[in-house]
Amino acid sequence: MTRKHSVNRPPTPDGAEDQGNEPILQEIINIKLIESGEKERLMEMLRERLIECGWKDEMKALCRAYVKKKGRNNVTVDDLVHLITPKGRASVPDSVKAELLQRIRSFLTSAAL
Amino acid sequence: MSGPNEDKNTQLSSHFFGDLLDSIIVDVASECHRIAKLGLDRNLEEEEEEMRLSVQARARVADPSNSSETNTKYVVDIFGQTHPSVATEIFECMNCGRSIAAGRFAPHLEKCMGKGRKARLKVTRSSTAAQNRYSRGSPVSAYSPYSNSTSTNRLSNGTPSVAGEEYSNGTYEEPWNKT
Repeated sequence: MTRKHSVNRPPTPDGAEDQGNEPILQEIINIKLIESGEKERLMEMLRERLIECGWKDEMKALCRAYVKKKGRNNVTVDDLVHLITPKGRASVPDSVKAELLQRIRSFLTSAAL
Repeated sequence: MSGPNEDKNTQLSSHFFGDLLDSIIVDVASECHRIAKLGLDRNLEEEEEEMRLSVQARARVADPSNSSETNTKYVVDIFGQTHPSVATEIFECMNCGRSIAAGRFAPHLEKCMGKGRKARLKVTRSSTAAQNRYSRGSPVSAYSPYSNSTSTNRLSNGTPSVAGEEYSNGTYEEPWNKT
C-alpha cells in the first residue's frame, strides 16, 4: 500500500523512493519498540504463549524428524529455518496472534501515531 | 479513529508480529540445530537400542533363576550376598525424566548427558598397567554412584562400550568393592 508515490518528490539518498516513507516509519516504530523495552516484552510474551500452546514442541518435532532423516551432521540452521517457517507461521493459534496484535496496536496508538 | 490510520495500524501490527515470530522461529531452529549437533536429543536409533536393552535387562531380572538369595550362577560378595544380574529398581532419570532400570542407568546416562564416549573420556585415566588393584579408591570415576552391580554383567554381556574400555584403562572402580 504505497501512498506516497509522488513523481515530484526528490529521490531519497538511500533510493527508497519507490516505497515512500513506509520503511522509515517502520524503522522509527521499531526503534521506539526497542528503546521502550516493549519489543523485548512482546517477544517474551509470544515465546511463552507459543510454548504453552505446544507450538514450540511441534516445531521441535518437525526439526527432529528432519534431522533423523538427514542425519545430524548434514543439517544446517538454515535448513531448519526454511523447514519450520511456513508451518510455523501458519500454525500460530488465533488467540495468540490476536493477543499479540492487540498489544502491538495499543503500543502503536499510544506511542507512535 | 480514522480509516486509513486503522489500516496502517493493522498493517504495521502484522508486520511487527511477523518480525517477532520470525525471530522466534530462528531461535527454535537454532536450538534444535544445537541439540542435533551435540547429540543431546534421544534420536530414534538410540531410543530403540535403549528399549531393546531395557527389555533384555528386565527379562534377565524376571528370569526365575535370578533369585537374590544363594545362587551358584553368580559371584558372591564379601558379605556373602549375591546381587541380581541387573539391578531391578526402576528410577526416573533426573536428566530426561524417563523411567530407567537401575542396571541400565549408567549407559543410559552416558547417552542422556552427552554422547557416550566423549563424556567418558573427560574422566582422567591412570595408566593402563594399574588395573583392578589401583581402581579401588579411585575418586575420579563419574559413575561410582550408579554402576554398582552392572559391571560384571557388562562384561558378560560383552557390551564393549562399558566393559572393555574400563577394564583396560583401569580407573573404573572395582565393582564389588563399591559402597
